Amino acid sequence: HAADYNWRFANLYSRGSAFGAVYEDLAKNIETMSDGRIKVQVLYDGEGVGSSGIFGAVKTGLITMGATFQSLNAGELPAGLVEIGLPGGTSDVGELTTLFQQKGWAPILKKAYGEQGLVWLDPYIQPAVYVITKEPINSIEDFEGLKIRAPGAYGKFLRNLGASPVSLAWSEIYTSLSTGVIDGSIGSNMIDHRDGNHVEVAKYMYPLPLAGAQVLPIIVNQSAWNKLPADLKAIVKAATTVHAQEQMTKSKLWESEAVADMEAKGLQWSPEPSAADKAAWKDAGSKLWDEYAAADKYSKELIDVLRKEQK
Amino acid sequence: MIMTAIRRYCLGVHALVAFIGNSVSYLMPVLAFVVAFEVFSRYILDSPTIWAYDTSLFIFGYIAALGGAYAQQQRAHINVDILYNKVSARTKSIFNLFSFALAMFFMVIVCKMSIGKFEEALEFNYRRQSEWAPHVHHYWLMMAIASVLLILQLSSDWIDSLYQAITGKPLLPTAPTEQEETAP
Amino acid sequence: MISIELLTGILFACIIASFALGAPVGLALGGIAMGIGYMTWGDALFNVIPTTLESTHFSFILLAIPLYIYMGQLLTRSGIGDAMFSASQMLIGRVRGSLAISVIVVCSMIGAMVGIIGAGIMTSGSIALRPMLERGYDKRLALGVIMAGGGLGILIPPSIPMIMFASSTQNSVGRMFIGALIPALITIVLLIAYVVISCKLNPKRAPMDVVPEVLPTPKEKFLTARDGLLSLLLIVAVLGSIIMGIATPTESGAIGVVGAIVLAIFFKRFKPRMVQKAGMQAALLVSVAMWIIVGASVFSNFHLLMGVQNMVAGFTQDLGLPPIVVIMLFQLIMLLLGFIIDEFIIVLMCAPIFTPIAVSLGYDPIWFGILMILNIEIAVQTPPYGFALFYLKGIAPPGITMLDIYKSILPFVLLKLFVLVIVMMFPELVTWLPNQLMDG
Ligand code: NA
Ligand code: NA
Repeated sequence: HAADYNWRFANLYSRGSAFGAVYEDLAKNIETMSDGRIKVQVLYDGEGVGSSGIFGAVKTGLITMGATFQSLNAGELPAGLVEIGLPGGTSDVGELTTLFQQKGWAPILKKAYGEQGLVWLDPYIQPAVYVITKEPINSIEDFEGLKIRAPGAYGKFLRNLGASPVSLAWSEIYTSLSTGVIDGSIGSNMIDHRDGNHVEVAKYMYPLPLAGAQVLPIIVNQSAWNKLPADLKAIVKAATTVHAQEQMTKSKLWESEAVADMEAKGLQWSPEPSAADKAAWKDAGSKLWDEYAAADKYSKELIDVLRKEQK
Repeated sequence: MIMTAIRRYCLGVHALVAFIGNSVSYLMPVLAFVVAFEVFSRYILDSPTIWAYDTSLFIFGYIAALGGAYAQQQRAHINVDILYNKVSARTKSIFNLFSFALAMFFMVIVCKMSIGKFEEALEFNYRRQSEWAPHVHHYWLMMAIASVLLILQLSSDWIDSLYQAITGKPLLPTAPTEQEETAP
Repeated sequence: MISIELLTGILFACIIASFALGAPVGLALGGIAMGIGYMTWGDALFNVIPTTLESTHFSFILLAIPLYIYMGQLLTRSGIGDAMFSASQMLIGRVRGSLAISVIVVCSMIGAMVGIIGAGIMTSGSIALRPMLERGYDKRLALGVIMAGGGLGILIPPSIPMIMFASSTQNSVGRMFIGALIPALITIVLLIAYVVISCKLNPKRAPMDVVPEVLPTPKEKFLTARDGLLSLLLIVAVLGSIIMGIATPTESGAIGVVGAIVLAIFFKRFKPRMVQKAGMQAALLVSVAMWIIVGASVFSNFHLLMGVQNMVAGFTQDLGLPPIVVIMLFQLIMLLLGFIIDEFIIVLMCAPIFTPIAVSLGYDPIWFGILMILNIEIAVQTPPYGFALFYLKGIAPPGITMLDIYKSILPFVLLKLFVLVIVMMFPELVTWLPNQLMDG
């Protein structure tokens, strides 16, 4: 029989990618658990909405549910950048879970998204952001003057280390690394670096991540959500919790596979950073906190929670 | 009496759209300069700018959108003219009644959505996601204006076609189609 | 809910109807999508417009279109483009069709600068169409050469669709770039051979330049050579800026603009009015191209949101056909998709659906990717609907009709189909060179 609710679920990954398959699982879970009352059509990158358009599309209801990458929506919901994890933040999964569930991040984010007509569902954790360079980084001073493709918050972080962030389209990274327009580039994670073939044109990965772990939300259009009866709401929530688990276990595995793939193609790691380098790295990250807190009220609330933690 | 008013309306629209179309063309060298400057700044001065990327995209959007009405005036928008070229001027104007109405329908929706996005951008202080993070509200305002201009031009062309379909003569004295002149 | 097959049929019928009425392509596609969408989905669909506008106007890759168009306009209006062709003709000598041959050579060089089809065709069209028409070349030959040559932009590296293919199927970009070189070379050689042979058979297609009553003095010859050399230097400089890592392929368009202005000053052809006219024409063309892209993207985004990709995916599952037939079927599907969807989305949509199947049948993924690129090149220039057709119509002088363009491309499409077929039959044409040059 026909479903009671027809949902469109857009995610930021391309069709056929490993991450895409996890979203396909989430869609199937919602269908199965709701006994077919909700039907979910999965849309991949570019299939009607590009990855940077997901946020706006869910907000207007063009798409019912979305998995978006908050760096792409930094201009629409600045708090999303803090949510994803500012450079220098923790990568400890347990710590992150407590931060969201007990220390008060979840209610703040629910409000921030709610203000824009979005329901914020379970966050899920994705692997870290790393920077790949053409030349090895032997000490942190080597970042001085390097042109590195790094958008938004990551650009600011690298600027604090003396590098020159460059803005480029993703599809121009490969050519630009190869010809030397840029000396390095960040990738949203190791899998992104592998898929972009960056190791063919830049060999050195810096061992310290720019962001330890990335926390991304699943968002649902508010009015579509309101139409669901309570039992279906609970089912969707339960399905996203299962999804968050799957993301976590699988992304660890995929990250190590991606690293192994790249190492087979000649990837090398820059030497282990010194204690001073690590301190400078952390310092470059924390300098951003004030800046972000000042820019947006929800960011401030989130960062205040973090600050309280540190004391 | 009413014909004079209509004629004035059409001529007014023509003048306005031609003025905007001309003005937009001055953005072309600016666009090239901005991109070239970024290359210069990055390669020679070793300091990439934070503003050139978004600025060039905004200028690109402005040229692309605002030129639409002028392109309609010049009949430069691409059409498949296989059947169109075979029919009489009067049949052409009947065809135009359909196509221009369809185009206007689309542009009215573009306009409505752009105004909505403009208000939203103001309410939530939307910016670009880059480090420079410029405001985007002006882009949506521009899109709304570009749509209105295109609607005005289409409406004028629609009236012209209607007049021609009924009377068999063009409404305006000389249809301004100095599309392309040879280069010096 | 309406089935996707029926919806596709209705949309296609509406496209044909609006094309027959001579409606502006981009605005009509947008209007059709919104009209049918409103009836099947409701007004929530209108929200596809803002995201589509953002993704087209804020695309740094598409920025190559205005920059290269402007460069092309400056070159042609300052006469630098003519100097380039005069000199290269002097080089080739008195061969029938020599201008068309130099156009193909210049197009190949432009192809090495740009990574997308639109920029390739509109630049080549700007600088090379008028010289051919003025010298009395058959307009079909002239148009076909521009279309075939300009389309090389995605076959000659760098190529954005190849980068997208490699990333969405996890293959090496370097291998694809190198693998494309032999098919590209074959295409260029065949194009030149076609021009030479067809002009021999039908001399009227390409009149010889009249021999001037007074032969050019050595000094005049020297000036032609100097001017031509300087303008070829511009192309070398733009290419060099990419290869040496000064600029990305997109940005190199701006280098070309600056170079064209510098050359115009050098040739004493720089007049503010010339620059203004070039800007005017370029802005008009940019707007025309972008309104088509916006309207067509609104249309295809609607179609994708309704699930056309699932129709394609479902269709290709469990075919149970002989492998080479499956490959041919894929080629056919992509050609058909070329009727409604642009080059990037074809790659995004088909690469991940088709490539794993091709690989499981034992085929080389790089080879399959190059087939896809060759296929897209054909798909965007086959009637009735194709971006390359629209770009060429945009750049052509008013007297050229769409029918002229449709007719002009036939021999060239056959030629490209021939390349597609031989690459399909001899995968070594793609796989050999990367294996020689890259280890592992
Ligand atoms: Na190319
Ligand atoms: Na086609």
